Amino acid sequence: MGLINMIEVRGLVKTFPARGGLLSQKAVQAVKGVSFTIPDAGAVAFIGESGCGKTTIGRILTGLETYDSGEIYYNGQNLTSLTPRERQERLRKIQLIQQDPYAALNPARTIYQTLMAPLTWEAKRQQKNRDWMERRAREVLELVGLNPDVVLGKYPHMLSGGQRQRVVIARALTVQPDVLVADEAVSMIDVSLRLGILTLLQALRRDYGIALLFITHDIAAARYIGHDGRVYVIYQGEIVEQAATDELIQSPVHPYTQALLSAIPVLRGLEQPGPDRHIPLGEFALAEGNGCRFAPRCRFAEQRCRDEKPPEVAWQHEEHRHTCHYPTPRRVVPEPLEAKS
Amino acid sequence: MSLHDPVPAPEDAGIQIRNLTVSYDTDRGRFHALNDVTLDIRPRHITGFIGESGSGKTTLAMAMMNAIHNPGRIDGGSVLLEGAGDVLRLKGEELRRLHGRYFGFVFQASSNSLNPLKRIGAQLMDLGRSHGVTDLRALLREAKTLAERMGMDGDRVLTSYQHELSGGMRQRVGIIFALVLKARVIILDEPTTALDMLSQQAVLEIVRTIHQERGLTTVIITHDMGVVAEMADRVVVLYAGRVVEEGPTQSVLRHPRHPYTRGLIHAIPRITGNLHDVEPLQGTPPDLATIPTIGCVFRERCPIRAPICDTVAPTPTSAHGDGIVTCHGVDQHD
Repeated sequence: MGLINMIEVRGLVKTFPARGGLLSQKAVQAVKGVSFTIPDAGAVAFIGESGCGKTTIGRILTGLETYDSGEIYYNGQNLTSLTPRERQERLRKIQLIQQDPYAALNPARTIYQTLMAPLTWEAKRQQKNRDWMERRAREVLELVGLNPDVVLGKYPHMLSGGQRQRVVIARALTVQPDVLVADEAVSMIDVSLRLGILTLLQALRRDYGIALLFITHDIAAARYIGHDGRVYVIYQGEIVEQAATDELIQSPVHPYTQALLSAIPVLRGLEQPGPDRHIPLGEFALAEGNGCRFAPRCRFAEQRCRDEKPPEVAWQHEEHRHTCHYPTPRRVVPEPLEAKS
Repeated sequence: MSLHDPVPAPEDAGIQIRNLTVSYDTDRGRFHALNDVTLDIRPRHITGFIGESGSGKTTLAMAMMNAIHNPGRIDGGSVLLEGAGDVLRLKGEELRRLHGRYFGFVFQASSNSLNPLKRIGAQLMDLGRSHGVTDLRALLREAKTLAERMGMDGDRVLTSYQHELSGGMRQRVGIIFALVLKARVIILDEPTTALDMLSQQAVLEIVRTIHQERGLTTVIITHDMGVVAEMADRVVVLYAGRVVEEGPTQSVLRHPRHPYTRGLIHAIPRITGNLHDVEPLQGTPPDLATIPTIGCVFRERCPIRAPICDTVAPTPTSAHGDGIVTCHGVDQHD
């Protein structure tokens, strides 16, 4: 066998029940039969707009949300058949890093206290003593590039956003996770510090074999978690295109992927817009009917798109898959200008 | 024309900032958030203020409107607004009226600046009343037209509470609030942070269109070079309360002269090109309490630090044609 799939998800479905109030009178199906795999020490990115269901998938994987149907295999074991307690135990090795490092840390606890809470559990499990816990706390901080002597006694408000996100990652590392699910982990961090966090995630993957699920709307950031990464594009709870990261960026065939990539800002002076760049400005409307869900916003939509739901098929080779009746590669991402004019 | 609206703002509302210094009183002492800032904000241009957290970009925008509150204090300098004189000399009712006539400010977290208990329409009428607008119907009509131009259902927006709108829609509502009073100067503080890429482009597109149509003076505050590159005619790079570089956006992006600007540009994760061309900026964003008081404020993070940087603060020199750069090392590079 070649690659071991650490996580394999098939036909995942999640519906949020109807609630009272003005807005949510209908049940909302947030995830509509999603299948994907995360290889051992692999890097996978989910991209899509707010509300497309990508966060829900991350929450299901980390055990914070239940699912209605579908199968999740973790190291070959079907989690669906386990009791909730056993499932929770397995899912502990999949850790979530959330968007907002300001909200993720308890402001009344020092960094030392924050790290000791999960370490106490780990120590009990592994029958270790207090010394081991202290050592481990310093170890994880050093792993994320923080100086334990400086940081341990501080409260979150005394740290910058980038440092806080590093503490959040350090806390996730206390349980020696197999997978880190990073949900918009860099979008609230100053651009100047983003790259530092991305390189850190990349290093954790390379040096410790921790797989990454990177959930984001910023596909440029997704490139920096690994050369061999794979991107899934999610629209209204379904995967509409998937391919190796650079292939997806250079020759996307689904118009929705093309719209997302077109929306990347062009650094004028250094780059020029891709020749096929087009940004749809309409509001996100939930599609009705049987056709392609993207058809109402798609500028290439034909009658067939509104009537008939496109199946998932391969484009040129098995690894690049999409759901579009009229797949056409287009060049939409910004292109570098010549070095000097 | 109502009693409260004596002189309309002039078409071209340029702003000349001279030697502006602002300090904040904290329990660790008094710190300069802006230090001797001299800058021209040109009418009919989009100007981008860029810098990391703590660089003073929001403080600069607030000081331009004389809207610095305790524990902050404007220590000196002047802000000449075309047709209104020195904004820093105004206070009380006079200043409030000037704000209504000239300025539209879109706050960073627009969802936090809306009243959760009132419908958007009612909040718009409050805004009109507090600025002496007599024809509230016209105001609502204008707001509805703006909403529709932004791709939203005008009636729905005006009758909604803020929680019924998505993040992107709330951000657009913030922009409507800034525009309905016919402001001449629009300041947007991080208008697209936390929005996804498509909503970001929708918001930017609206700002760009209305800016051109009304011939506004627009300022965008952001830490995202991508937003500046897409939108701004000119860019102002701030570091620790000082302008370190200023000039036409394309020139600054293509030939950045200050090492900090170069660092900011190199740190952007790019969609194409070699992954190794990109490198993180060294060090951490400036902390007002620890920035050096003599010499260059950037030297601790600077890759081209020289002995002179420890003792002498660099003064602005001409760059990018009509722009400036503040660095001892500019001559050694390009």
